[in-house]
Amino acid sequence: MREKQASDLSRRSILTAGVAGAGLVAAGTPALGATLTAGEILERMKQNVGGPWRDGGVDHFTVGGPETVVRGISTVMMCTFDALKDSLKVGCNMVISHEPTYWSHPDRLDDIRDDPLYKIKLDYVTRNNMVVWHFHDHWHALRPIDGIHVGEAAQLGWTQYMHKDNPRFYTLPPMTLLDMARQIQSALDARTMRIVGDPAMIVSKMYASYGNFGGITGAAILDGPDCDVMVIGEAQDWDLPMYVQDTMSAGNKKAFIMIGHDKSEQWGMKYCAEWLGTFIKEIPCKFVPIIEPYWNPEKPVMEINTKI
Amino acid sequence: MRPQTLDRVVAGDLTADITGVACMALATFDGLKAAAAAGRNLVIVLEDTWWSDNDDLQRLEGNSTYKAKRAFIREHNLVVARFGDHIADMKPNPVAMGMAQQLGWENYATDKNNPVHFVIPSTNLLALTQSLGRTLGSRTLRAVGDPRLPVSKVGVIWGNANQLPSIRLLNTDIDTLLVGYTHEWEAVMYCQDQVAVGMKKSLISLGQAAGEQAGVKYFAGWLKTIIDEVPVDYIPLAEPYWNLNQPTNLISTKI
Repeated sequence: MREKQASDLSRRSILTAGVAGAGLVAAGTPALGATLTAGEILERMKQNVGGPWRDGGVDHFTVGGPETVVRGISTVMMCTFDALKDSLKVGCNMVISHEPTYWSHPDRLDDIRDDPLYKIKLDYVTRNNMVVWHFHDHWHALRPIDGIHVGEAAQLGWTQYMHKDNPRFYTLPPMTLLDMARQIQSALDARTMRIVGDPAMIVSKMYASYGNFGGITGAAILDGPDCDVMVIGEAQDWDLPMYVQDTMSAGNKKAFIMIGHDKSEQWGMKYCAEWLGTFIKEIPCKFVPIIEPYWNPEKPVMEINTKI
Repeated sequence: MRPQTLDRVVAGDLTADITGVACMALATFDGLKAAAAAGRNLVIVLEDTWWSDNDDLQRLEGNSTYKAKRAFIREHNLVVARFGDHIADMKPNPVAMGMAQQLGWENYATDKNNPVHFVIPSTNLLALTQSLGRTLGSRTLRAVGDPRLPVSKVGVIWGNANQLPSIRLLNTDIDTLLVGYTHEWEAVMYCQDQVAVGMKKSLISLGQAAGEQAGVKYFAGWLKTIIDEVPVDYIPLAEPYWNLNQPTNLISTKI
């Protein structure tokens, strides 16, 4: 399937290279009646990620294909049903989603083809002539810096504190862990963050791994001198969070903030819309924020739109 | 015995004299300190000890926390045994029994010998979430769905909830699914999407220890019936997390 799409795509890009070039020349003043397909958009993305475009991985069309004519592009953190509805609302029928559409990292379909929700979602996207590109691996591989890291740092207002040689490390003005947690919560709009550590501890050396992060790799970084606080999206409780707990019990002054997966990466997709806008001028490229799935009992909210 | 299992002696000397047994959800350093302080040197846990499913030690060789925890285990002559798979295979399942007991839901179970589906007195999602937080001592539990959703039928996957079993359960008659942990990009997203198409569904993520440790208490009770010679204790673990609603650390930093 993937191979077939790839070969369709390369054929199409040869056939339409001239058209796409003409579109670029006329940047900002799209010609009436000019059309842009998902395949042409993808081709421009490939040319702009700054590194090699690799086969394999999870990046692929989860819905639709390269031939779909695109009216507008939305960038979202995860292709939730809400994200689909909100994309259509702002006139976008191509969704570029960092995370899956079908509830597993590779959008595995084998076991869910008869799933009632799968059928409803598939029907909705097909009926609305939508196309969804899962844009995970290559957005993380953006050069010179991982697109998610660029966007999250900008949203935090901490870009100037990023280390030049490794943008996952930051040296921040010293502050308490509690203060840092408050700043992150407010900058990223993350309402269900969870924190491990002494709230009064002074932190400054931050290591960020937005999204999911595993125990053993994290343990090595936390054990080093360059990290007193680790900020991540999501981890299993018995994995990295347990390590942080244990390293505290061993007398080490370390702290840990789990933002939640969505809000830890979604601002990287805000940057993705800006990035797309630098080479796609014919149609709008819009960042569509998604709904944080969770709430805590202290602050219950209902944001999910239940109308289909 | 299972043909394939992660259960094994994780650390310590099997021939050591056992002075007492401490049962806990995870062998956290805090938990080990509590076991040693109580003079219980056999520690039985459901989950891992070295921060990954398979306790991958190779990459931890130089790690200072690994060395400190190992040294503590040696110094106090502790034996740590992971036993979660075999506990899950017991009939009835001690985790299911213990959690139902802790929640006071034994009489609401559809099958009293395998209490994983309940019909509880009608409530709503918010009230249920608040009550679970209090009963299980979870300060940072998180819910997905409409707080006003009427809830009566409850399905549970204690501990880690994998994608397919969670999705399948969410497609049964349940109003809410209780889990210890499940990936945000899998069952959490699935439940959110169910709500977004008008289905009356919800999910509550309790945290790993809160979502299974009452089962360890039940298991310790059973163990007492077959071990008379040494004391058997259940050691509850403090919640590692805090959030901005309750910014206090519960982890002991004294060694």
